[in-house]
Formats: sequence, C-alpha cells, structure tokens
Amino acid sequence: MIRFPTDLAQAAGSDGEIRAGATDLAERRRTMAGEGPLVDLRDVAEARNIEVAADGRTRIGALVTIAALAHDEHVSGGYPGLAQAAGGLATPQIRAVGTVGGNLLQHTRCWYYRAPEAECFKKGGAMCSARKGDHLWHACVELGPCASVHASTLGMALLAYDARIDIVGATMRTVADLYGDGSDPTAHNALPPGAVLRGIEIDPPRRGERSVYLRATSRARAEWPLVEVLVRIGVEAGVIAWAKVAVGAVAGVPLRLPQVEAALVGAPAQAEALVAIAALAREGTAPLPMTAYTVDLLEGVVADALERALVADPVGGS
Amino acid sequence: MTGETTRRGFLRTGVGAALATGACRPTLPVERSADLESAPGVDSTSRVRVDTNLNGQPRAFDVAPDDSSLDVVRATGLTGAKHGCGHGACGACTMMLDEVPVVTCLLPATALHGRRVRTVEGLAAGGALHPIQRAFMAEDALQCGYCTPGFVVEAAAFYDRWRAEHGETEPSRDDVAAALAGHLCRCGAYAAIYRAVQRACTGQLDPGEPAARIDARDKVTGQAVYTVDVRLPGMLFAKALHAPWAHARVRRLDWSKALALPGVRGVVDLLGPAKLVRHAGQQILAIAAVDEATALRAVALVEIDVDVLPALLTVETALAPGAAPIYPRGDRADLPNATEGPLLPERWDGNRRGPLELLSKRGDKANRAIEEARSIGVVADGTFHTQVQCHTALEPHAAVAAWDTDKRLTVYLSTQAVHSTAQDLAQRYGLRDDAVRVIAQHVGGGFGAKATLQNEAIIAVELARVCGAPVRYALDRRMELMLGGNRPGSTIEVALATDRAGELVGMRATATSTAGTAVGTVTTILFRIIYPKAPRALSDLDVVTHAPPGKPFRGPGGPPAFFALEQTVDALAHARGEDPLVVRRRWDPNPARRPLYGWAESIPTWRDRGPAGGDSGRYRRGVGVACGAWFAFVEPRSRVQLESTPDGLVASSATQDIGNGVRTTIAQLIAARFGLAITEVFVRIGESNFVHGPMAGGSRTTSSIVGPCEDACDQLQAELVDVASRRWRLRDAEPSRDGVAHAGGVIPWRDIFRIAPKLVVVGHRARDKGGYFLPPIEGAAAERYVSGSLQITQVEVDARLGKVRVLESWLGLGVGRIVSPVLARSQAEGGVIQGIGYALYEERRLDPRAGYLLTAGLEDYRIPGIGDIGPIHVHFDERGYEKVPGHNVGLGELVTLTPAAAIANAIFNATKWRPDALPIRPDRVLEGLRR
Ligand SMILES: Cc1cc2nc3c(=O)[nH]c(=O)nc-3n(C[C@H](O)[C@H](O)[C@H](O)COP(=O)(O)OP(=O)(O)OC[C@H]3O[C@@H](n4cnc5c(N)ncnc54)[C@H](O)[C@@H]3O)c2cc1C
Ligand code: FES
Ligand code: FES
Repeated sequence: MIRFPTDLAQAAGSDGEIRAGATDLAERRRTMAGEGPLVDLRDVAEARNIEVAADGRTRIGALVTIAALAHDEHVSGGYPGLAQAAGGLATPQIRAVGTVGGNLLQHTRCWYYRAPEAECFKKGGAMCSARKGDHLWHACVELGPCASVHASTLGMALLAYDARIDIVGATMRTVADLYGDGSDPTAHNALPPGAVLRGIEIDPPRRGERSVYLRATSRARAEWPLVEVLVRIGVEAGVIAWAKVAVGAVAGVPLRLPQVEAALVGAPAQAEALVAIAALAREGTAPLPMTAYTVDLLEGVVADALERALVADPVGGS
Repeated sequence: MTGETTRRGFLRTGVGAALATGACRPTLPVERSADLESAPGVDSTSRVRVDTNLNGQPRAFDVAPDDSSLDVVRATGLTGAKHGCGHGACGACTMMLDEVPVVTCLLPATALHGRRVRTVEGLAAGGALHPIQRAFMAEDALQCGYCTPGFVVEAAAFYDRWRAEHGETEPSRDDVAAALAGHLCRCGAYAAIYRAVQRACTGQLDPGEPAARIDARDKVTGQAVYTVDVRLPGMLFAKALHAPWAHARVRRLDWSKALALPGVRGVVDLLGPAKLVRHAGQQILAIAAVDEATALRAVALVEIDVDVLPALLTVETALAPGAAPIYPRGDRADLPNATEGPLLPERWDGNRRGPLELLSKRGDKANRAIEEARSIGVVADGTFHTQVQCHTALEPHAAVAAWDTDKRLTVYLSTQAVHSTAQDLAQRYGLRDDAVRVIAQHVGGGFGAKATLQNEAIIAVELARVCGAPVRYALDRRMELMLGGNRPGSTIEVALATDRAGELVGMRATATSTAGTAVGTVTTILFRIIYPKAPRALSDLDVVTHAPPGKPFRGPGGPPAFFALEQTVDALAHARGEDPLVVRRRWDPNPARRPLYGWAESIPTWRDRGPAGGDSGRYRRGVGVACGAWFAFVEPRSRVQLESTPDGLVASSATQDIGNGVRTTIAQLIAARFGLAITEVFVRIGESNFVHGPMAGGSRTTSSIVGPCEDACDQLQAELVDVASRRWRLRDAEPSRDGVAHAGGVIPWRDIFRIAPKLVVVGHRARDKGGYFLPPIEGAAAERYVSGSLQITQVEVDARLGKVRVLESWLGLGVGRIVSPVLARSQAEGGVIQGIGYALYEERRLDPRAGYLLTAGLEDYRIPGIGDIGPIHVHFDERGYEKVPGHNVGLGELVTLTPAAAIANAIFNATKWRPDALPIRPDRVLEGLRR
C-alpha cells in the first residue's frame, strides 16, 4: 500500500511510514523494516522552500533538499555554520535527494540496529547489544540504556540555532523537543506517531556572528563523523559576547554544551583562551570501554572549531 | 566445507584437478516445486504507474512501492548503472535525475514520475562520446570498470557545471574530490580519475586520443557485460538462507512452506551431512523463484531448529585449554584455504595448526645472534597486529547457470579463473571438459577472492538443474563482506639483529594468524625472500575460529609481513643512527631492487626529510620507506591462439580480464608485431573453451601470456611469409613490422591477410632459461626470481584529531620489461591505494560474542575514497630478467605489499611513535602520541 498525499495535512495521522527522499528509509525497508504501508511525500507541493520573513526569520521547509540548504545564498550568508553542516554531510548524491525533514528524523546508524542478527531496544528487543559488544563508534555521554549516537548532522546544527519546529499533528516547539532527553532507548526521536514535520524556523541572522561546523573522521570525505560540532560566537571588543556550541555523534541525541558556552562568555577572543575552555567539553562525559577516545576528539573538535571561528568571516561583514 | 572446492590453492590448473579428486562428487540434496508453471511471484500489495523519460524517450513503468529506480532501469536492459552496495555509499548506481546525479539504489522508482532520467548509456549525445568519457579512456581512469559508469555520470555532470562556471580553468584535486566523494573504486583508479577529470576540464584532450585499453569504450559507455548483467530467458533468481549464528548444529530444516509459495521453483540444501554451522553468514540453503522478492519471502518461510553452540571467535578463546576443536581429527580434509599455494600437511593441536617453519635456516644461530646482539644494542624487536581486511570487489560473487541438456552446462561467473572453474565443474558433475563453458567477459574485481569454484556457482548450477531453467545467484554487499573473502589477521613477533658493522646476523619471526574457518596463512616466508642471506628462525601458526573464512588476498601474507618486518628494519636503522635506505641496501642482494635505491635517494622529499619526531606542533609531517619482494609465478601451459582472416587478426585464450588489462596486453603485443593499432586486433577471452590461458592470480597473467603471444606471432608471420612468397614468388622474404619484406620492397600484412587462407596457430610459452625454482605444481611454476619494490611515502599526522593523511607516494618497481606502461601504472597506483586502505581505514569487525558481521556495508567497512590518496608516482626499472621469455615478472601483488609499512615508518618519522596495530585509526594515533 502506498499513498501520495498532496499536502502534509493529508499525510499526517495516517498509519504508514512517511517517505521523503528515502535515502534512509529505502535501505531499512529492504533489510529490516519490511513492506508496511507507505505515505510518500512525492506529490506534496508545500514545504519545499526556504522563506525569509520581513523581520529576517528564516523558514526552511521539511522537504527542502540538503543540497538546496547548503547552496542557498541566504542561508550561507546568514547562517554559515548551518550551510557548512549541510554541505559537509553524506555525499553529493545523497544531499541531492535527502531532505531536511528526513535528515532530522533518520534512524540511528548503529551497526547493531542495522544488523538483522542483533537484539536491540530500537527493534523491540530488551537489551542494547552494543553496550556489551563492539561500541567503537558509540556514545561517550550516557543518557539512557541505548548506546547508539544520533545520526543527524542537521539536528545538531539546528540545535545550535535554537531552531523552532513546525509539526502537523502535534505541538512541539523546538528541535530540542523533537529529540527529547535521550532516555528512551526505543525511540529515534520524540515525534509522536502520525505526526509530520512541516519545517524549521530560525531567528534572524545575527550581525557579526562567526560560526564554524567541523567533524572528526578518519577518511577525508563522505564518512560518518566520529564527533561533530557547530560553534557560533559573537565577539565584541575583543571578548566573546555570546556563544552556542552543539555537538553530535557523542550521545543518543544531539547536545548543547552549556558549560562551555558559559565559560566562553566574557573570555578573551584569543585562541589559547578558547582552547583551554574547550577542555570543559569533557565534563559530563561517561565513555564506554571503547569510546574514551571520542572524549579527546570532542575536546579537539570544539577547540578546533573555536579557533577557526575566531578567524571566520562574520555574518553581514564586520 | 559444503559446496566449496577450496581445498586446493589457486596455484593449479586442470591437470591437478583430475588427479586430485577422481570421481564426481555426489550432488547436493535438492527439491523442486510441484508447481513449475504458475507464473507470477508473490503478489505485491499495490502497483504504481510511473511516467518518466529515460535517456530522452518517454517510458511508462508499472512498479511496486519499494522497487528501486536502479532495478527498474536495469530491467529495461540498460545495465550500465551497477548495484555496488545498495545503501548509497559507493555510487556505482548513479544516474542523473533532471541532470543531477543521484544514487538510484535508494531512489524509489515512484520518484521517477514526471522526471527525466539519464544513464551512462544516454551520455553520448548523438553517438559522440562526452569529453569525460574520452578522458577516462585516454587516461586509463578505470580498471575492472564496474564503478566506471557511476564515476563517468558524476564526472560528466561536474564537467558541465565546471565548464559553465570556470571555462577552461583546471579544477584543483580538491574540487574533483569534492565532486566525486560519493563514489568508491575498489581497484583504486583514483589517481587516473583525477588526471582524466582535470584534463577534460582544461579542454586539453585531443579528440582522437587513443584509449589505453581496448575495452575502455565499452566500460565508459556502460556496454561492458558483467556476470550480474546477464539476463537469460526464463531466468530464475536465487536467495540463500544465511546462518545468524557462528556455531550451531541444525536439528531440523523444513522448507516445505517455502516451496509451496507461488513462484518458488526449487531448493538446494547446502548444509552438508554434519549439519553444522561453523561461522555466521554460512549459506544453509538456497531457493530459486521467479523474482528476487519471491525468493526472499520464501527464505523467510524456512523453518529451522538449531542447538546454538559456544562460538570461539578469537585466537585466545580458540587456544584456551579445553576449547573444543572446530575441526576434530578426521574432519580436517577439504578445509577452506586462505592462501595461494597448496596446503601442506601440518600438525594440529586443538585449534592450532603448524607451526610451519619451512624456510627457517640456521634458526639456532639466528636466536643466538639476537641474544648476543642485545648486549651491544643492535637489536630491534616488536609485536605487530594486523586486522582482517575484506576483498569486497565492487562486483559481488555472482553466477548465472544454464543447463542445455543434462550433459551441457554454461555458467556465467564472476571469476578470476574461467579455465580451472570449468574443469572443476566438469569433474564435480561428471561431465566432459568441453561440455562445460564458463564465461566471464568482464569481471568487476577479484583480488584473489574469485579464484576457485565456490558456492555462488554451486547454488546456481544445482538450482538450474533442479528447476530446469537458468538461475542467477549473487551476494549482496552484506554477504560479500561476510563471505566474499578476507585477508586473515595476524600477530607477528619480530626480532632483528646486526653485528657492529651493521650486517644482518639474525632474523626471528613468529606469526600467529587466523583466517576464521580457513587455514593456510603464511607470512614469515617473506622475510626469507627479501633478506635471504641472514640466519633465521621463521615460524607461522594458524588458529581456526568460528569466523567467516579467509581467502587468498592479493599478495597473501605480504602486507602483514612487511608491516612487521619493514618497521623493525626501520627501528633498527634508527637505533643504529643510520639511514634506513643505507641499511637495506647493505643487506639486499636482489638485482631487481638494487637500482631502486639510487632512484629513491634522488627524491627530494626523501632527501629533505627531518629527524624522527622533529615536528612538535599539531600537524606533523614525516617520510617513510619500505621495501617489498614477491614471488614470480608463471603458468607454463598458457597458450594463445592466433588466426588470420581476411578481415584481420583474431587472438583467443581462456583467460579473463579482472581489471588487470590482459585483453589489452594481448592486443598490444600482437599489434606491435604486425604494425597495427590495438583496436585492430580482435581479442576473445573470458571463455573456458578457448585454448588454455592463465588464471588471474599469483601475478602470473602478463608473464604467462607474453611468451605465447610472441610465439603465436612468430608462427603466424612465418606462415604468412610462406603464403606471400609462393603467391608473388618473392625472394629473400622475411617478416617485418610493416609486412613481408623482400628483395623488391614490403608487402603490408593486411594485403596478405586478404589473400591468405584462414590460418590458425597456437603460441606456447618457452621455459625460462635455466629452468624454474619450483617446477609447475598444479600448473603454476615458481620462477628463479624475486621481484622487488621500494616505496617512499609522506604523511601528515594531526596530533589533535588523530588523523593521518597520506600526502604523496613514490613506488619503484623492478619487474623487468613493462609491456604496457599505462596499464602497469594503473595496477601500481591501485595497489598503493588498496594499501592505504589497509594501513589506515579498513577493518572487518564481528560482534565479539556472537560472531556476526558489524561492518556490513561500505559505510562501516571503510575503503579509501578519492580524497584519501595524495599524488602517486610510479617508477619502473626495466632491467633484468633476461632469462625469462618476455623479460618480465608480475607486479599485481608486489604493488600492494609496502604501503602499510611505508606509512607506519612515515608516522614514526613524523611523531617518534611507532604504530604496532592496523588500521592506524584516530583513537590509536591519539593513544600512541600520549605514550
Ligand atoms: C553514505 C551516507 C553518508 C551519510 N552521512 C551523513 C552525515 O554525515 N550526517 C547526516 O546527518 N546524515 C548522513 N547521511 C544520512 C542522510 O543524510 C539521510 O539519509 C537523509 O538526510 C534522509 O533524508 P530523506 O529525505 O532521504 O529521508 P527518508 O529516508 O525519506 O526518511 C528518513 C526518516 O524520516 C522520516 N521522515 C522524513 N520526512 C519526514 C517528515 N516531513 N515528517 C515526519 N517524518 C519524516 C521517515 O519516515 C523516515 O523514518 C548519510 C547517508 C549516506 C547514505
Ligand atoms: S549501489 Fe547505490 S550507492 Fe552503492
Ligand atoms: S575500476 Fe573501480 S571498482 Fe574496479
């Protein structure tokens, strides 16, 4: 069974899996999820644009492709970190069809979740195989019984922008709400069944903001991050006036680092000072036996991103 | 192991086969569906009409909601786009959707509605090739060609964009890498792909520039037919039931419900009489049905009861006191063989086999020298761990089998050995040799994993017989990574000692390797072939576990051995305060490698390197060197048949082109003798019924084929001279490049082809002058030579994020005369690239408790991408090997031996930390730098 609704209201509330670009869903249906009913958003006309309101707020439709987000001039001008995150994830072919909504709501890439042989909370099991098994690429922050990390680069990036979300069929306010606190090992996100994401809204660009997206990997390109980070800072009179730091691939949901943000405010805008503050990123981590290195990487990418942010082009010119 | 003829190594041909097993094996238990007529398979829940435009033509399809665009387009016969991974990582399936490249394995067919699709077949507008296609041909930016359609489509889109925005400016390597980041090439054609894309964009390409390979045009246009592309009328599709357990005894196996499913045609039971599962992924049975979806559903209906047994997954557990033997006494015949050579009889102790100490010599003396040398501080030692590496050729193991009558069998097989697999099939099914035809026109990579008769062929053949229809069976990527083959993991302890003068006075190496359920890993033998003079104690142990079996992988045993040995040599040089090149040159008697030292010393990056650990900042650069050596094998029975016809020359041989380029080599050798262009020689290979040709393994292809080609040319030219002399009553006639030279001038060969009767000759390979080191064993002889290589690599280590980048590599090779410099360079670059993957990224990981595969796709099993390689310079020293007909030995394996060692030595030079485990992941680098 497949339906092709023409707007998102029709898509909401039905039983059936929502299919957008299918770059995550297609493989899961083939190898694990089976052939239940589908709600394909192919013929939906709305939610395909990036719109800028008069006051500068930016709305990104859930069906905007990742490539369109990366190349949008308004986005790369006003939210350079977001554009870098979009342009730096997956591969050109995936970005060409993968959507913002699908990226936010994609399922974990944990190899146990994807292995048909494995037991896993997210597949209805009663345990996390990764915890006692091989968790080389798993969490270093404990939020709940599932050891996997959230896959969404855009979710992490939008968390740094305090993005609001627009949902058909549920009331939720922010990207943070979309993910919840990560304590439920069975969930990939907190979106209620039948709800459909219509879009994202971000505050107007902040003049003078400097932002950087970075990921740690072993290969040069097209590799899932070992750790990823988005840093936004405002610098006034040689001092950090405000800071937002989000990190991904370290926990079951994307995280903000409030301790790092707090320490940054008021710090001198100098590399050594920021690198020292990056060490606070280690606070609150609780690595599994094989993931201690990701704590080092976490500190490393935060330091790196802060250093780069210092010399990044400010939004709207300086 | 059931169904697998893996007992012999692949150093074999038919003679051995006939002697080895004698009678035909009993065939496997099979059952046929009572209902062989019901046409449709499992009814899909709903169908969707899709109106699209395919390569400029309007097309309507009726598709199921979950059908992929790739499958739907390929079913129309446009098989250029390939299924590589099925999950968006490799890009082999790339097509343009409204002129934007997308991966079609993940794109639902319903998404094509109202859109325009362009495949590689539609790239050449009006018959004229796209400049990118021409550039790929001219620069040899392809080997097996399986990834090529995807790369070409993406690169063409990049080219069009680039030219529109930047005119004829050359894109940087980084621009190219960013555009092609969604494509993987297992052969490692990236270096040439950079050249092709960059040159095409600058418009420097001459429209008439010839292709380096004669089949390049077929590969860049999607016309080359691989086994997975074969579609026969009435063909059925097979799927297997794979064990999720690493060790289990099957109590009950009931496929009656599966067989009753409409569209299902037959079942073959692969379990064998012991009813044992010995590794996860093991094929338990296979089912043929009218389509893949039906076969998959049928597999899900099979009922199976098992006793799950304790799995021994590591060397430690397999060797623990009381561990049950995986192969009890009496069950040790016919074991899967992880190496190229035949298995020697060895001692067993529980799960331990060996030690093999074959090439030890004066071992006591070596041990004594090492102990004595310790006191004067001229010993270096270390323990090195290497991981399991998967072959993961981009074309999976695949077979399509069709029985003509009960007596004739045709198998399209993705194989490195058409000839010997056909003989093995004939023997297994009690058929005459000429009643079995194995066909492999194009093979999407093998690297050693496709050298023997294996389950994919057995499944297709058995099911085709029971179902009375052709059957296709192919592994998916998960199973390719699980079962397709792997290089065993090893732990090697090494100690080297010199005297005060720096002469090597003792070598000791003890290796413990595990190839899962396979045996035969040998690594330390390579210590002997590279530094043959020193006293040595060399020992190899094999430990069997309940992990999927290893197979011979390009240079079996080599990369682990050289990773351990060449790092220890480096450490010794460092300890002695000597230049590592000087030390090696002192010990190295091999005339093939000696000239390479001078070449290496002339490389400025090497000359100007700093002291070890000289950099202390975040980014630390270093340069490393490593040497390699490999055996020279040849298949002396190799033949080439050459025919002259009025239209030109036709050469044929039962060999196969797995990307090594033998089709081109044959054409080139013959064309050169007759003054023709390579495209004027018609080469027929990839069929077992042609005259005996070499298998692609043991780096033997070129050295086996040069002699027969030259001999065939000699014979044919002699006959043509004869014909011409008689016809035109020539005086002093003799062959020349341009034709028959005689007292009055030269008659072009083409004129003689036209008037001559059809002539057929068969060229043979002469013996090496002075004979062989080892006479042919099962068809392959070891020559009296050891080939030589030397690699220099520069790396950059990011001390903060633990990342190692390979900046640039130089590979020098002493393999004698290079028949085809472009193809040889491609092989060499590909070997270095595979070696970079081995050094830094690749690693098979199994669940430590249950033994199933975790790195089950090309996202998690990480092979190098185009951004990971740095420039690669290849240098050939063509001297030597005068006594070998053709004056050359193979290089296919040699080129992949040194990268891990050179990279590790470069890391030491950069950081003063010596990596002792592969792959050199960021976590290991961070830990190492903390020490
Ligand atoms: C090789 C490779 C590398 C990758 N690397 C990265 C990476 O580094 N970072 C990263 O973030 N991602 C990465 N990805 C994942 C990729 O970005 C996602 O697959 C993609 O963004 C999903 O978008 P889609 O539109 O195709 O989603 P779909 O596959 O269509 O859907 C994904 C999920 O979201 C749900 N969904 C989709 N849209 C909606 C909606 N509007 N409302 C409610 N539910 C919805 C679907 O039901 C489904 O469960 C990679 C993928 C590949 C293949
Ligand atoms: S087959 Fe589609 S990306 Fe590999
Ligand atoms: S040529 Fe790229 S995979 Fe073989």
